[in-house]
Amino acid sequence: MPAASVRVESVTKRFSGHTAVNHLSMEVAEGGIFGLLGPNGAGKSTTIRLIMGILEPDEGKVVLFGSDQDSRKLSQRIGYLPEERGLYKKMKVLDHLIFLGETKGIGRADARTRARAWLERLGVSEWSLKKVEDLSKGMQQKVQFAGALLHEPDLVILDEPFSGLDPVNAQVMKDIVVDIARAGRTVLFSTHVMEQAERMCDRIAIIARGETVVSGTVAQVKEDFGGRHVALSFSRDKARAEAILADRSLIAHLDDYGATAELQMADGADPEKLLAALVGEGVGLRRFEVVEPSLHAIFIAKVGADAAVAHAGVAA
Amino acid sequence: MKKIIAVVRREFVERVRTKAFVISTVLLPVFMVAMVILPALMMRGGDHTSRVAVVDASTTGLGQPVSHALESEKIGSGSNARARYTVRVFPATSHDLARVRDGLIASTGFSSDRQKDGWNGVLVLTDETLASGKLAYYGGNVGSLESMSKLQRAVSNALAGVRLAKSGVDAALVKQAMKPADMDTTKVSDGKLTGQSGQESFMIAYFMGFILYIAILIYGQQTMTSVIEEKTSRIMEVLTSSLTPFQMLLGKVLGVGLAGLAQMAIWGGTVFMISSQRMSLAGLFGMSADAAQSFPIPSMAPGLLLVFLLYFALGFMLYGALYAAIGAMCNTIQETQQYAIFVTVFIMVGFFAVFALIKDPTSPLGVTMSNIPFFAPFTMPVRWSLTSVPPLELVLSLALMVATLLACVWLAARIYRTGILMYGKKPSWRELWRWIRA
Repeated sequence: MPAASVRVESVTKRFSGHTAVNHLSMEVAEGGIFGLLGPNGAGKSTTIRLIMGILEPDEGKVVLFGSDQDSRKLSQRIGYLPEERGLYKKMKVLDHLIFLGETKGIGRADARTRARAWLERLGVSEWSLKKVEDLSKGMQQKVQFAGALLHEPDLVILDEPFSGLDPVNAQVMKDIVVDIARAGRTVLFSTHVMEQAERMCDRIAIIARGETVVSGTVAQVKEDFGGRHVALSFSRDKARAEAILADRSLIAHLDDYGATAELQMADGADPEKLLAALVGEGVGLRRFEVVEPSLHAIFIAKVGADAAVAHAGVAA
Repeated sequence: MKKIIAVVRREFVERVRTKAFVISTVLLPVFMVAMVILPALMMRGGDHTSRVAVVDASTTGLGQPVSHALESEKIGSGSNARARYTVRVFPATSHDLARVRDGLIASTGFSSDRQKDGWNGVLVLTDETLASGKLAYYGGNVGSLESMSKLQRAVSNALAGVRLAKSGVDAALVKQAMKPADMDTTKVSDGKLTGQSGQESFMIAYFMGFILYIAILIYGQQTMTSVIEEKTSRIMEVLTSSLTPFQMLLGKVLGVGLAGLAQMAIWGGTVFMISSQRMSLAGLFGMSADAAQSFPIPSMAPGLLLVFLLYFALGFMLYGALYAAIGAMCNTIQETQQYAIFVTVFIMVGFFAVFALIKDPTSPLGVTMSNIPFFAPFTMPVRWSLTSVPPLELVLSLALMVATLLACVWLAARIYRTGILMYGKKPSWRELWRWIRA
């Protein structure tokens, strides 16, 4: 078995006043897409900075590619898109990408060729001689994305890569991420958008308040979470369903989105009984499906309560 | 190493490309040349032949020797010398003195193109002139201190001659005795003549100190600003993942330093070109060759130039590293001011030490200061230009500077490493110490 791309061993990082990451362990195996999920302030970015060696852990250690060298020595094999996007505003786009390539140890001529290819691929090649500050935020993000991937790293670490992008650009980026994984390279990205993670990731770790809550393959996480889940879509007369949905002997937990809902059946309750009750009540249904729990549901169930408590704690 | 070069190139190219660089490169010399040329142009009037009317109301015929003395004054020397004054004597008595004088004054003080035979000035001599030296001059150029002192000197000499002649001293002897002292000064270094005059050494020393002072202040601040900029634009985070803080800082300091040196080189080259072509250029501007000759364009001995450039580059980078460290500690330009003031004080002490050193280049103070890396860039070139410095001392001072430079970059890098990700919070001195040790 090949060495894990990233192994985080019981790492703790404290900032003055609070512990951002608390004895966190995780392992990102080689290949595939790994999702680091968590609510805002869970310690995702801190974890990523620790992996990148930008921050030093107070306790524990981070091992990359099974090597005892630090991330800067291995930086040629790693591509990094930080959460806080930043580029030299006055530099021309192409020059900037060449510079980023050079800092990764690529020769100048080579970096130029690759930068051109990336700009082409991301559809911003006509901007290559413009200054960075003349670009829209979304385009700047694409440029930085290209900068992180220019040197074809084995491990790509993306901190909230899709935030702030319109659906079209998000799609472009998503395709690129999937391509990287398909080529056998490893992608680690953080997000708090569960649907995205669910569609893209092979494996995930959900962290909250600096600790791992759940981790494993997506299928494993769902199976471990257990219970029977039903996804509903209403076409009319949703109001008539309210009493049934409020029945705790039938439904353990309800996630109401208005036109749709996801719910977890109570122990021993039967989905057929629920369907019969809804139809009997005259509720119009477009969809009634027994499903695996969504990551979102798992996330809310595992983290929601904690997060609420944490917020209350802060307020007090 | 390749990475450092990439950083150096980026810093250099991005800086040299800016409008600010181009503008300052062009405008600063224009400004400095204007500072030199304008006064010269303004004083050009003093180099014209002045028409002076001498009203002689004395009973001893004082007008004759005075007009002789004035007529023998020359502008310039050698073959293209011209008379400084054209003189005409108007005899008068004590009765019609006022009338003659006022008549002449009526045609005085016009510019030459408006009244060709007007007077530039009227000199009034009376008996009292010989006795007590009192005389009056009415003219359009009394505001020019130089013209007045020249005129006064010429008249004083004439009066002294007349007085001595009256006491029976031979006229030839008087002339001999009145010859002024004319001292040439030449600097000696290592027992050899350098060909520089004392005046020139002083000029060079002062000029070098000044250039370094300006360059450090401008480019040092730029280094600091660019560190802050990297922090606020968050580009830092990408860079720290592939570069060590030492590489980033050294690259930055070298890159900014090179940009500064490039600017100096452009200026230096221009000065060299102009000074080698100054005769023809002067003609272009309609200036006399003398005026051009008198421009202070000092020539530099190659040894001095080398020492100056070495210290310039090292000093520049040393202070650049200090400024970069301050940038790493702070989040905004405003915040940097309270730390930057310490560095400014160092620069000021170094710069003003130049003045003390010019007075006494061999003093223990000078020797000590040229071994302290922060002051050496100012003091050592001055010492070198004014006295002879033992090679061993030079080597020691240079070695100390290089060591301090590296130590400063290292120290700055330590602060940088921790400081770059500390947003919105200024460290206390104690925290700073922790960062350095961490």
